[in-house]
Amino acid sequence: MQTSMAGLSGWLIRHPPLFTLLLIVLVSLVIGAISPQFWQMANLFDMARASVVTGLFGLGFLVVLAAGGIDMSFTAIAALLMYWLTTATAAYAPWMPMGVVLAAAAVGGMLLGMCNGLLVHYLKAPALIVTIGTQYVIRSFLLTFVGTELFVNIPMSIENFGKYEIWRVGTDNGSIAILPAYVLVLVVAAIVTWWILNRTLMGRAIFAIGGNSDIAERLGYDIRKVQVFAFAYSGLLAGIAGMLHVSSNRLANPFDLSGTEMGVIAAVVLGGARITGGSGTVAGTLLGVVLITLVNNVLILAGIPSTWQAFVVGCFIVLAGALFATREKR
Amino acid sequence: MEPGYRAIGMNSQNPSRSETVKAEPEATATGPFLELRGIHKRFAGVYALRGIDLTIEAGEIYHLMGENGCGKSTLIKIISGALSPDEGSILIGGREVVLSPIGALSAGVETVYQDLSLLPNLSVAENTALSQQLVESEGRLARRIDRARLMDTAVKALAAVGLPTDARFCATAVEELPIATRQLVAIARAIATDAKLVIMDEPTSALTRREVENLIGVVDRLRAGGVAVLFVSHKLDESKSIGGRFIVMRDGAKVMEGNIADHSKSELSYWMTGKTLDVARYRHAAHGGEPLLEVNRLGRTGAFKDVSFALARGEIIGITGLLDSGRNELARALVGVNPADSGTIQLAGRPITLRRPIDAIDAGIGYVPEDRLSEGLFLEKPVRSNIVAEVLGQLVDRFGKIDVGRSRTLATKIAADLQIVAANLDNPVQSLSGGNQQRVLIGRGLTIDPKLFVLHGPTVGVDVGSKDTIFRIIQKLAGDGMGVILVSDDMPELLQNCDRIIVMRKGMIAETFEAENVDEDTLYHSLLLER
Repeated sequence: MQTSMAGLSGWLIRHPPLFTLLLIVLVSLVIGAISPQFWQMANLFDMARASVVTGLFGLGFLVVLAAGGIDMSFTAIAALLMYWLTTATAAYAPWMPMGVVLAAAAVGGMLLGMCNGLLVHYLKAPALIVTIGTQYVIRSFLLTFVGTELFVNIPMSIENFGKYEIWRVGTDNGSIAILPAYVLVLVVAAIVTWWILNRTLMGRAIFAIGGNSDIAERLGYDIRKVQVFAFAYSGLLAGIAGMLHVSSNRLANPFDLSGTEMGVIAAVVLGGARITGGSGTVAGTLLGVVLITLVNNVLILAGIPSTWQAFVVGCFIVLAGALFATREKR
Repeated sequence: MEPGYRAIGMNSQNPSRSETVKAEPEATATGPFLELRGIHKRFAGVYALRGIDLTIEAGEIYHLMGENGCGKSTLIKIISGALSPDEGSILIGGREVVLSPIGALSAGVETVYQDLSLLPNLSVAENTALSQQLVESEGRLARRIDRARLMDTAVKALAAVGLPTDARFCATAVEELPIATRQLVAIARAIATDAKLVIMDEPTSALTRREVENLIGVVDRLRAGGVAVLFVSHKLDESKSIGGRFIVMRDGAKVMEGNIADHSKSELSYWMTGKTLDVARYRHAAHGGEPLLEVNRLGRTGAFKDVSFALARGEIIGITGLLDSGRNELARALVGVNPADSGTIQLAGRPITLRRPIDAIDAGIGYVPEDRLSEGLFLEKPVRSNIVAEVLGQLVDRFGKIDVGRSRTLATKIAADLQIVAANLDNPVQSLSGGNQQRVLIGRGLTIDPKLFVLHGPTVGVDVGSKDTIFRIIQKLAGDGMGVILVSDDMPELLQNCDRIIVMRKGMIAETFEAENVDEDTLYHSLLLER
């Protein structure tokens, strides 16, 4: 039926992430041509570092979206846990190793996510509304009961975790470029997410329910389990992302991360996941994250004012939306 | 290639599965596969089933017949474990059982629902074979998928229904498949796990004749393999050509059963409805002859081209063809849903341009769409609102508020004219039976007082009694001078109602027949003819 549409556009429609890849290549070539700095290790490492938190958020959002939900509360969960755990560790147990802190963040995020999942399931309310609500509640709790001040005396273990290196390269101008070890957390999370989505019954149940929850229920898939799992997983990754954010910035600001949801959602959608659920891939999401990070970080290299970032991202989203909509209309 | 796949499939069965296979001969020795004795079911005190006795033997085909509301769906739900009976017993292999949905599945009772219940975004292989692993894990999801076994099961089942088994097809998302292929995927899922009884709820309502023949071939192979098949269908012709046993239900009771070949269609419909229906031609009146519609070289890129025909006042023209013949697209072009991009249309001597549905409504063209559920009705809205939906502009008072009184008067009049049976016109339209829903749509079309009425599959999924009513309505409308275009793949329906029948192939008009002088076989052959 679509043979007449063969060629590039047909291909892109059938494989949405390729569109994102194409945009990445285009942006890289254009900016690389304008500014040779772009291709330097220091810049590439910077981008890898900058994509970790967005990437973890994106993977969590992908899982919720694939199950037919939407999570708006992950940044709030991340902010609460990062600030709370950092200040608490500093005050009561500065000797606590980072592994334990990360685990606590993961568990805390998971529990908050489970609350989201249970609320969405039992209230039978749209996930968008419920999680906007929990986002406000969590953020207000953080600012009311935990604190509002910038916290810079972060415990050594958390600070040191951000300093581990896996690669150090000397650059032409004498400085050194460092790839921090915590980018591996994103790599591991991506592999685990891919494995869950593609190799377990839970993964397929997530897509089944995102595709059509009535039919999935009739076929014996347990909707409650899937919804709770998806939101819990998103919360878990958000908790970890929050701690990594502290580690890499070496400070904990309770107002951080707020408002970054839209960028994450944009990344996942640019990665080819339908906003109506039931689709999306880990590879596509990572490409979407790379594209967003690219635009947010390198336009400045090409001499484009940073105020244009949102404009470019917006255009990409409209373009992707139009292209992917063609796919659905067939 | 196929035998190789089959061999792999057989070898891959795990021990517990081969045990159930071994148990089968034993079960058939002790009695029929399934037996229902004195099944009663009440909903809020109202009888849905009263004392049904039913025996289903392995390797037999059954047709469950009856009008909407006769208790067929309740009976199916009881057999598939979705409902439990108030009285009576269910025996499987001679042993009395209490069926739950999972219990029915593990006993080998599989149901192919009318909506197919496929997961649109999952692959063919997953749709076919994932349920097996889900049932085995008893619904627990923290399990690794055994992908090799998934593919084995899928390939075996797909081969059994005559679908491709290559990796590419197995990985295709179901939403990308045509409806007929989806139907076969749903059946493949049903037989993927040692089915002994497959229930098919109106499996052919969306299929063309050729696809139905393919399905019949599949059913034959199932039967030969010792699987019992229970059809629920409204199409008497089809049931007769498939053959096997029939069970007629009326008002929750079994009124007749026997061998379908031994009885005529009119006997069967008499048992279903309790009244004698005229199954001969409904069309008697000759039309006026004054021209109404002239379609000249109408075309739409990629759908149909060079379509020219004329329709007189009071004339009924049938348009038929295979699913890809362009008949559906032509119908939609004539009502402005998917506009034509070349050619002209004249209505009552005036050229008209149909770019959007509102153009057609303004020109006086009424339309009953093909799929009443997704294209026609606002399911959760009241019957009344559904009837008046096209003429809201005429019902508003000078403050822009809809005049409920006038809306009610109009709806009541239409409901009476078309014999719509609704307890209350304020009930949601989804609470009505299929035949009544269809009449609501016809009624809505009539509110604009059309000169031309385009009916697209007006009796799909409608029972025999309602069909009769709808045909009489159509004849009456034509008798009053309306031009009617009937787009359908139900041959008897076209033959009984039309003056002329246009057959389309590959986007063009292939042949036109005088309905009075043509029989079903000629029509089918014309439909299938390749150029």
